[in-house]
Amino acid sequence: MPSRQRLSTWSDLPDEVLQHILFYLSPDDLLSNVQRLSKRFSRLASEPLLWRHHCRVHFRYWDSKHRIRQKILGNVGDVDWKTLYMHRKRVESETASVLDSIIEGQVNRIQKFKLIADFGYDAKDTLLKHCRTCETAEDVLARRQATPRYYANAVLDHVHRSKALAEWKKLLRGEPVPLERALGSFDLFVLHDQHGDLLEISEIFDDLASTLRTENPDLDQLSTRKRALVVVRFLRNRNLTGLSTEIAYRDLQNTFIGIALQDQEHPSLPLISVAIFCVLAQRVGVDARCCGIPNHVHAMVFPQDDETLDGRRLLPGDPNSDPMYLDPYRSDVEVPLQSLRRMLSEWGLQPAQHADFLADSSTANVILRTSRNIVATVHDFRAHHEDAENTGHPTIRLHANPFADLDNAYYAALWANYIFGNPFRRSEGTTQSQFIPLILERFERLYPMDASLIEQHIVPSYNNPTNAQHWELRETLRVVRAADQTPKQVRLRNTRASQEGVKYKVGQVFRHKRYGYTAVITGWDIECGMDSDWMSINQVDSLARGRHQSFYHAL
Amino acid sequence: MASDSNKITLVSNDGAEVVVERNVAERSMLIKNMMEDLGEAAMTQSVPIPNVNESVLKKVIEWCEHHKNDPPAAADDDSDSRKKTTDIEEWDQKFMQVDQEMLFEIILASNYLDIKPLLDVGCKTVANMIKGKSPEEIRKTFNITNDFTPEEEEQIRRENEWAEDR
Repeated sequence: MPSRQRLSTWSDLPDEVLQHILFYLSPDDLLSNVQRLSKRFSRLASEPLLWRHHCRVHFRYWDSKHRIRQKILGNVGDVDWKTLYMHRKRVESETASVLDSIIEGQVNRIQKFKLIADFGYDAKDTLLKHCRTCETAEDVLARRQATPRYYANAVLDHVHRSKALAEWKKLLRGEPVPLERALGSFDLFVLHDQHGDLLEISEIFDDLASTLRTENPDLDQLSTRKRALVVVRFLRNRNLTGLSTEIAYRDLQNTFIGIALQDQEHPSLPLISVAIFCVLAQRVGVDARCCGIPNHVHAMVFPQDDETLDGRRLLPGDPNSDPMYLDPYRSDVEVPLQSLRRMLSEWGLQPAQHADFLADSSTANVILRTSRNIVATVHDFRAHHEDAENTGHPTIRLHANPFADLDNAYYAALWANYIFGNPFRRSEGTTQSQFIPLILERFERLYPMDASLIEQHIVPSYNNPTNAQHWELRETLRVVRAADQTPKQVRLRNTRASQEGVKYKVGQVFRHKRYGYTAVITGWDIECGMDSDWMSINQVDSLARGRHQSFYHAL
Repeated sequence: MASDSNKITLVSNDGAEVVVERNVAERSMLIKNMMEDLGEAAMTQSVPIPNVNESVLKKVIEWCEHHKNDPPAAADDDSDSRKKTTDIEEWDQKFMQVDQEMLFEIILASNYLDIKPLLDVGCKTVANMIKGKSPEEIRKTFNITNDFTPEEEEQIRRENEWAEDR
């Protein structure tokens, strides 16, 4: 039996091995137990490397204020990862408790939404967790979980909207905002708990760019013109631009860049196709921009300084080199300038006016055009809803409930129009202030939790008491906030009036005496509970007992 | 000296010779690199393992023997962003049912011999022994001396308070 020289204990294990062991322990174990063992353990359990690991593993979404990607790429010792982890844990527990209180009490929800929204994207992980709880649980449980899930979704939607508006405001202030983020902000309005926020959209483009480079190793040696054509062919081959059928042209999903990138069919309108092309082309060093041609957006590719698109050096005195035009929605070849000019002339535009339409378009303009596309789709859908039965189009299927998302998309378009609209009335077009009543109407009806967004983004511009909008804004906000602060009261229904006046019960199936239809009663009011418009349209007051008799809700 | 051309001889720090198949021994990156450096010479002379005694060396080789056909671990560029699990396969769990000194010896040996999967198993085993235990219980289990002053201990407790009150 060979003799062991001595027994090994903890103190024999080098730091690197202990560190290795600590990586297998949960943050809770580390903080409440391991750190308190001894000085050595306390030091090892605080190592930034360990806490960077936990930050990355436990949290996917980070508020932009952390600049988390730079931190991860940087020197691990430069960041206090443990404090960062503890911060996120605190946000998590506070978010969860505010969410609980939103569910428990119906009062002061606007303020509570804002409390969570102030954490920004730091709250997203926790909200997502609550959005996805118990999806497989038994019916009874699921029903109890439905409410938390609903509110977690509602708060997450609100957080997304705050982020989208902040992004657009940044663009408005003239800060550099990449095209995919500006357009992706529309996606945030309909994203819910799905994949495809701004960062994820950018990551999709990063991945596409690296695939493109792998497939075309000589890309950087090509002239700008050839490189642009490689990009457009790459996208067309993958079906990443355009639509498979024009019948689907007005489908709502075609206006969202994130959906276009992730959907199997990759449906997109010309504008989104062009944007996808431009963003990817920019990632491989091509100066591609959207062109302002009305009706059907094209892409423009500009030569590098002092060069032509084919890479020839410009000599002093040479005229400036021309850009090229592409239509990634429809084709993978260059569109000759002549055919674009011909098209403009056919529309009755004088050659002198052409230059304006053939120039590149600002990101703000691209946003406005997208919002117009959304509005057109929404109007189209509402107008053709009846005969959509035949073709199945236009559709409004996005991520969640289609009708709710129709509202969400429209709301996004209104905000975009408001933010990028003309602040003053010009000879043509709409002004910013025209959108205020439209936003307010939806805010009151569907998005009362956005009071803070209206106060932040709209109210400051209308702070002048002589302005009519000023009072309208204040009044609407006051009413919504007051309603939010008033405890809701339960009204008992089994009063004498109901026992005498209401003859039929919920669930009763009946045939209408005059109109002959069959229906089931789903509810009742002692008196007519509809608004005055409805009553006058239905001539309620001309009935024998007018509005003061029982009314039934039937299906 | 091993006569079989596929076998090599390892010598522990207490002088014991252990003959082992080359592919088993090469679960150790240290030995594998050494064989590559030495070339043919390695087959004809014994390889000293100065940091490991016989009983531990045999134990480690037992593990290597059982795992000689494991696929090589995938190159791991970004293990930092992946969750670590403390799950241990059944055979390894039984293998690790040893006294604490041996457990530490195995960990030290696998660290020295650079056998990453065995080091992982050892560390997971220790981690599982720590999980969910109070500081007092852990100190008792592993005989760790508390070298904090009461003030320092109180301060650490306060810093991590959030973890307590949930």
